[in-house]
Amino acid sequence: MRGKVAIIGYAQSYHQGNMPMTREDMVFEVAKGAAEMAGITREDLDTVINASNDYLDGRTISELFLVMPMGAYLRDYTKVEMDGAFAMFYGMLKILSGTHDIALIVANTQGSTFNPHQISTYMLDPTFDRQIGVLNDVSMAAIQARMYMNKYSVSEDEVAIVSLKNLGNAAKNPHAHRRMPGITIEEVLNSKLLYDPIRELTMSPISDGACAVVLATEKKARELSDNPVWIEGVGSSQDSYIRNRNLYHLEGLEKAAKRAYQMADIKNQFAELDLAEVSERYAYEELMIYEALGFCEKGKGGTLIDSCATFKDGQLPVNPSGGALSADPITATGLIRVVEAVMQIRGEAGACQLPGVWRALAHGQTGVCAQSNIVYILGGEY
Amino acid sequence: MWRNVAVIGVGQTKHGIRREVNVAEMIGEAAWKAIEDAELAPEEIDAIAIGNMQGFGGICQAELWSGDWFGAPGKPLLRIATGGTTGGSVAQCAIYQVASGMFDVALAIGFEKHSDSKEPGATMGLAHVGLANFFHLLACGLDFKTSLAWGGGVGAAAGVSGYQAANYMHRSGCKIEHLDMVAAKSRSNAAKNEYAHLQWPNCTVDYIANHPRFGEIVAYPLRLGHICPASDGASAIIVAAEERARSAERPAWVRGLASCADEENQMAENAQGVAVTDSSEQIQCKIAATKAYSMAGIKNPREEIDVAEIYQPFPHQELIYSERLQLFDDGKAWIPLEEGETQIDGRLPIDPSGGVLSTNAIGSSAMQRVAECALQIMGKAGQHQVPKDVKNAVAHGWGGSTNFTVVTILGDTPRLRR
Repeated sequence: MRGKVAIIGYAQSYHQGNMPMTREDMVFEVAKGAAEMAGITREDLDTVINASNDYLDGRTISELFLVMPMGAYLRDYTKVEMDGAFAMFYGMLKILSGTHDIALIVANTQGSTFNPHQISTYMLDPTFDRQIGVLNDVSMAAIQARMYMNKYSVSEDEVAIVSLKNLGNAAKNPHAHRRMPGITIEEVLNSKLLYDPIRELTMSPISDGACAVVLATEKKARELSDNPVWIEGVGSSQDSYIRNRNLYHLEGLEKAAKRAYQMADIKNQFAELDLAEVSERYAYEELMIYEALGFCEKGKGGTLIDSCATFKDGQLPVNPSGGALSADPITATGLIRVVEAVMQIRGEAGACQLPGVWRALAHGQTGVCAQSNIVYILGGEY
Repeated sequence: MWRNVAVIGVGQTKHGIRREVNVAEMIGEAAWKAIEDAELAPEEIDAIAIGNMQGFGGICQAELWSGDWFGAPGKPLLRIATGGTTGGSVAQCAIYQVASGMFDVALAIGFEKHSDSKEPGATMGLAHVGLANFFHLLACGLDFKTSLAWGGGVGAAAGVSGYQAANYMHRSGCKIEHLDMVAAKSRSNAAKNEYAHLQWPNCTVDYIANHPRFGEIVAYPLRLGHICPASDGASAIIVAAEERARSAERPAWVRGLASCADEENQMAENAQGVAVTDSSEQIQCKIAATKAYSMAGIKNPREEIDVAEIYQPFPHQELIYSERLQLFDDGKAWIPLEEGETQIDGRLPIDPSGGVLSTNAIGSSAMQRVAECALQIMGKAGQHQVPKDVKNAVAHGWGGSTNFTVVTILGDTPRLRR
């Protein structure tokens, strides 16, 4: 990387199922919160990047009325129609180009506007897959889950442990939408079956939420912040369309992770990372993410969760915040992972705080069956 | 730190009604043309930026499904969408991908396929925004008529622009005849551009004004002949770092770029209490242009800019934005128009390609402005090549409810000189 980029401010909403707030108010609060934490005003913003999706928001150019609440008027502005973690990458590119010093990234979705799973059918090949009428992001995930579980003999119990871990962790996270203290395996396995083997509690909820971060150049970060969190590595990759790829593995994520590890000079991720925050839209997906991130060998995700290594007190905690299973405001989810990792590094995670977090991984995804992925390696001041 | 980047390849599909291809095939056509033009192998592309206004074609994030047609698998991809500015924003994203030093070669693609939608998206897209406001206001407890007047009464893009045109004419002294002149100029220029949609060779002011159909006023002061078509089409550019660009014959160097957003300025002014009441003011374009020119080291745009590609789905916008791009005096752009200065062979040609008035595939439109500027600098514009040495060209785009602007300056020499 030609220069360093730091995260110096962040904010997220209290994600919930049906937020009693307009989109504009929700966005205003996180944009203001992140800027206040960074100690900057609107005049300091060199660029503002929004991450949202017109289909999910149910209106064309959905960010039109967010220009004012984001503080973007009369400033450089653009929108990335993907997860907020991708928008953050664009912010990084602008800063590394030397044309901008401070970037505000705002990601928002109100899933309560319109059922996002219904919208997912519009992401499929319009000529064939959409016409079949039974495919959507959940049924595709069910197909992938069965393929993966059958091939590697992963049991439903092992998948349920992921939900148990994440929803249990979320109990202590005030921002999470689905908080379930004392959740049991039976509860997960007896929750409503949607598409076999996907159940209500092994799938992310439909949430309203927003998230914002402030990025800065090294010089500005040192001026403005006592504990900036540095982006040590980033990698991104889009996979083939679901019909053209191997659904047993998340190869796109594997490529993205390799690029990020290389940039951050990480050779043994399991030993060198203190924590990972990943966007698992389904419980089985977290097991596949372990494998793609190289936390275990291919097909050994079930064994890894059985060993409890990714629990809060394990060797490499994954999703101590509760992950996407606990709150999923679609385009904000990946950026929330970044923020949760930053909170852990800065020691600001409250009841979710783990001891000794120096270096963390954050992951964001877009598309059916995690087609497009981005991985960040974040580190504090050593 | 900025590093020099240049556009080294351009690809455009024929724009028009393209029922013989689907979205994936159409994007592929533009992407491969650009890759071939740049004399690259597909694996040399390090990153991709792509965008369209997905509501207009009925596919959500079409690049996920169609990625295999343009070599996306395994590559980092960013999807950008900002309304009409989309193509320009996508081009700028690819420029930043390379200028940041993260990638050496980037492919930028803008596309739209309006004919897949049951409505003319280019002109009705903004009606969705208005409609959403209407329901929002209704839900807030306002009565039906008031909600309609405040929220839904904008009459889509033509309604929004009609209001803007009337404002501009009021303060500048420009007449409907001048709008006819812009339309006639664009459509006859388009006849020389093989990729354009509405190609009307030797179109005259008289034809636009007195045609029984095209002469009809749709939303005062705009005639049907003043309004852009809803096209299908895709365009692509290849952006490369200096080391790679040096091997190209005559690359179009990126000298400056900027984008700027103003408050949403028309559709809910009563309901939201925004401050902008004159939508022909376009202060954000002035800011973006100033930034881009200063980055490019251009002190006197009137002298130094050789050709301008302005995003003008409606004719008065060519006049407003050429003023805001500091090419003419405020409120006076219709005078050089009258004098023929902005014709292909004039002193400062504007939209020699025919512009958005002749071809509007939303996601592609603002990308085409950048692509056309690059072609003019490379000397590859064919029949609509301007008859002079092009040193600097400015590409413009507007989006949202005319409240977003992107400005990109291309030149025949790199930004940073060694």
